Amino acid sequence: MELLLAPLFFALLLAVVPKKFVRLAGIVGTLVILGITIGHVITFSPNNVVSVFNPNATTKFGLTFKMGYDGIGLFMVILTNALFPVILLSNFNRSIAHEKSFNAMVLIMQFAMTGLFLAMDGILFYVFWEMTLIPIFLILLWFGAPERKTILTKFFVYTFVGSLGMLLSLMALSGLTKDFSYESLLAIKLVPKSAFWIMSGFFLAFAIKIPVFPFHTWQPDTYTVAPVAGTMLLSALMLNMALFGMVKWMIPIAPEALNEMKFLIISLGIIGVVYAGVIAIKQQDIKRIFAYASISHVGLITAGILLFNTEALSAVFLQIANHSLVAIGLFLAAGILENRLNTRDINAMGGIAKIAPKFAFWFAVTAFASMAVPFTSGFVGEFLILKNLFSYHWVVGLIAGSTLVFGAIYTLRAYQLSMYGAPKISSFEDLKWNELAAFFLLSVGIVILGIYPQIVLDFVGPSLVKISKIR
Amino acid sequence: MSVDQLILAILALPLLGAFFNGVFGKNLPNALVGSIATGVMFLSFVLTVIVFGSQSEEKIIHLFSVITTEDFSLNARIQVDALSIWMTLIVTGVGALIHLFSMGYMKKDEGYYKFFTYLNLFIFAMLILVLGSNYFMLFFGWEGVGICSYLLIGFHYSDAQKGMLNGIAARKAFIMNRIGDLGLLIGLFLILDQFGTLEYSELSVAMVIQANQPAVWVLFTITMCLFIGATGKSAQIPLFTWLPDAMAGPTPVSALIHAATMVTAGIFLVVRSNFFFELAPMTQEIMLYIGLVTSLVAAFIALRQNDIKKVLAYSTVSQLGLMFVALGMGAYTAAIFHVTTHAFFKALLFLGSGSVIHAMSDEQDIRKMGGLKKFIPITHLTFLIGTLAIAGFPFLSGFYSKDEILAHAVMHSSILYGFLMLSVALTAVYMFRLYFLVFHGNFRGSEETKNHLHESPWNMTIPLVVLAALSIFGGILNLPGIVFHSCKQWLSHYLNYNTDGLNLVETEHLSNYDSILLMSAAVALTMVILLVSFFYYVKKGILAKEDSAWKGWELASGNKLYFDEIYGFLFVKPIEGLAKISYQFLELMVLNKSINGLVGAISRSGLIVRKWQSGIIANYLFWMVLGIIGLVVYYLLKF
Repeated sequence: MELLLAPLFFALLLAVVPKKFVRLAGIVGTLVILGITIGHVITFSPNNVVSVFNPNATTKFGLTFKMGYDGIGLFMVILTNALFPVILLSNFNRSIAHEKSFNAMVLIMQFAMTGLFLAMDGILFYVFWEMTLIPIFLILLWFGAPERKTILTKFFVYTFVGSLGMLLSLMALSGLTKDFSYESLLAIKLVPKSAFWIMSGFFLAFAIKIPVFPFHTWQPDTYTVAPVAGTMLLSALMLNMALFGMVKWMIPIAPEALNEMKFLIISLGIIGVVYAGVIAIKQQDIKRIFAYASISHVGLITAGILLFNTEALSAVFLQIANHSLVAIGLFLAAGILENRLNTRDINAMGGIAKIAPKFAFWFAVTAFASMAVPFTSGFVGEFLILKNLFSYHWVVGLIAGSTLVFGAIYTLRAYQLSMYGAPKISSFEDLKWNELAAFFLLSVGIVILGIYPQIVLDFVGPSLVKISKIR
Repeated sequence: MSVDQLILAILALPLLGAFFNGVFGKNLPNALVGSIATGVMFLSFVLTVIVFGSQSEEKIIHLFSVITTEDFSLNARIQVDALSIWMTLIVTGVGALIHLFSMGYMKKDEGYYKFFTYLNLFIFAMLILVLGSNYFMLFFGWEGVGICSYLLIGFHYSDAQKGMLNGIAARKAFIMNRIGDLGLLIGLFLILDQFGTLEYSELSVAMVIQANQPAVWVLFTITMCLFIGATGKSAQIPLFTWLPDAMAGPTPVSALIHAATMVTAGIFLVVRSNFFFELAPMTQEIMLYIGLVTSLVAAFIALRQNDIKKVLAYSTVSQLGLMFVALGMGAYTAAIFHVTTHAFFKALLFLGSGSVIHAMSDEQDIRKMGGLKKFIPITHLTFLIGTLAIAGFPFLSGFYSKDEILAHAVMHSSILYGFLMLSVALTAVYMFRLYFLVFHGNFRGSEETKNHLHESPWNMTIPLVVLAALSIFGGILNLPGIVFHSCKQWLSHYLNYNTDGLNLVETEHLSNYDSILLMSAAVALTMVILLVSFFYYVKKGILAKEDSAWKGWELASGNKLYFDEIYGFLFVKPIEGLAKISYQFLELMVLNKSINGLVGAISRSGLIVRKWQSGIIANYLFWMVLGIIGLVVYYLLKF
């Protein structure tokens, strides 16, 4: 239970911390939470399902409050809780880090996300799902770029409508079960037609959050106007909730509709891979390039999820970790460029590699990781997902495989136009210690997962074997 | 030390060198950085020689399992056999010499430590590629050498004038390689689907011994996919245009990566996969013709190039084409033989051109050279040996290795033999043109350059001399049995000895009489071209034309047969157009507009959002947070 409540405790504690120590308190808080999480990881055996909270009672709406984790749940928690300190660290030198409200919102978000990953009850899952929207929205509203107003309206309404889809699906299930605990929901047998609608409801919520083509139009705009920390939270952490939700909730609840939905969602996923990849080739705004890159990468992950076999799902979790690490790194680089040059236009940059060699090096490491080269976390995951897509249908594998080529084109273009050539600007401050530390930590993760991805697979494997039998 | 430990040391040394120089190199003196990088290479080479000398049986060393799933596992494993050790000898041996050369060549470069870090890293990736026991390791190294190639082509990315161009050349190389890699990757997926393993030894057993062969079209697709990968890395039509552009990299890079080692990875791949290709005659046929056309096209383009490195680059493409012709005929050892001798003389020629460029104060245009033989005698002599070796001058290494391919061609078809002779002739023509224009006649550069002309330091000339010696004597490796009968076809026997599947491939050899006949024809051809070139360029003193004076075929050759323009029109422009249309029309007009309309409608009618529009959304959300927290706390206390 301390796993869930610690973030809330620190969020409240921030109220009494003097302003001078706020940014430090934020990091220390997330580090303590990380410590608690590591404690859980050490004592966890991947074959188990650990109950965190079980009141053994059911309220009026069938809410059971059951909470717990298996391998995938705990994996998401440790991934999330390990990345929160890195995100705070990477923003340590910015004015946003001194804001009490920012740090509090980050911790509330951590609370909500932990709750979401631990939820063993449909209603609880939904409540935490909605709750995460509030802190991120406020961070964007308070600290975003000046032109954010209409864009945030779109973001809010869009994601809110998506969530309604999930709510409707849950309501539709309420007549068929005595309560909303995970086991009861899994036990429901659905006729294909209602399974289809229930899965669609969930899919709407998840597809918008991920986002999957064609539900993505809020994303590039929102990522662009958000403060860097907000973009990191959205791209590296929040979309993981949706990917996790598809694996743990959407498909297991309505497996009867899997075969029907498979082709549709895989198609949308790989259309997104190519569509976003192609668009990223000609963008001028560096944040927007990486935003489309993210759509392209998660399209592949989404397609992988719908294959719903152990191997593909293992690769999915590897790619989730990879995407999180890479997204933070890329948006950190984009944020550094924007922050120091006051522009996001890559044509106005150039020659920075010569002036800021450290930045050039670590940006390059991240860019290569984004292209899934050997020794980086994307290599094995991408290999396995593409392999499974190829086994599903060779045309699907071939189309998805084009990410190898498009990824190289847009990533290298963005990197070279901003970093290579003769300097167009006179001065550019090289990395500060906290930025360097953040890049370093991300790279350590990237390389470890690149050489020995088996640690992830051993962790999530047994749970995935169980879950993929549900269909 | 046992073979296992030796192999691990061979692999680890370049990686440690790269790590050490990458981390500490910046603050160390250049001489130390260079010595460490070069030292680990020589050590690696010596250890390889020891392994080679120990003649151990085929052996697989399991390091660790990268990933294990229900159906298969991808392993980090090393396979020690004749082929992998032979390739390791070439990579570490030629690699060590080029490292030594680079110590002199890159002396004044700002990025000295970075250069050696990348070079060491490249060697490591290349060793993974050749030493791995399965296609996954190969793919790992394959991508790895691609990155190193990218980093080294674009090494001078900060150059004020050419920085961006170097970057674009590097990008082009990487992207074209990635297209090939996609082909290779799909080949791997097909193999996994069919056989459930990527280990060479298991696959060869399944294919050859158990005769557990998939359907003909599946095998055709697998081999074609592998071959597409090979065309990317080994610069064959249609994916060859990156290699000439890759000359933007420093010259030692061109010698190491774009002549001697990385570009031969495609040939290595096919030889490794001989158990597939041998049973896919269609692919072999396609490979043969692609190789032949590439060889002729590249040789034709080389005729009117005026950049010393571009001539050599097209020459490399052309020679790689010859190797694919050999592979298409099933002459695997002949291909590896040519890989070997080509590594010697092409590395020599590139390093020689580096020495020339060094002397010429970074000038690469042969129209501004001339008469260099008396200024840089060692470079001249070694370059001459390289030129003679590649042109097929009697008893030099290139003579034997080309002759073996020609001998196979005769047995295949006389038309093929004719076209190959044409390619050989073109090679002699452009190489002698290059040699005479650079080293003979009068100096055509500026007075300032002339005063600065100097022979390179010892660490650059020693590799030249060693490679020259290898270029002369390299032919001994696989003598056709006319000269010394006792060591006849040594390399063929060595490679067949314990390389998966190869011993099952029938390698025929011509009778002595036919060999001598063929050799005489080739010698006559080379000699005639040598004499004519000498007469034309030295006696008559004819110089290279300016671009504007090109006529007819010269326009086509000088403009590289317009390949870049055609690709730009066929692929680059359409994709860029698609990117624009997708964004402008589909993304902004269709998707965004419709969603905005929908959102607008909802926000006008919705109660929640109306509140927000009146500006108190923050309050509303705040209460929502409090409400949810309160609810949770209430229930927590209750239970």
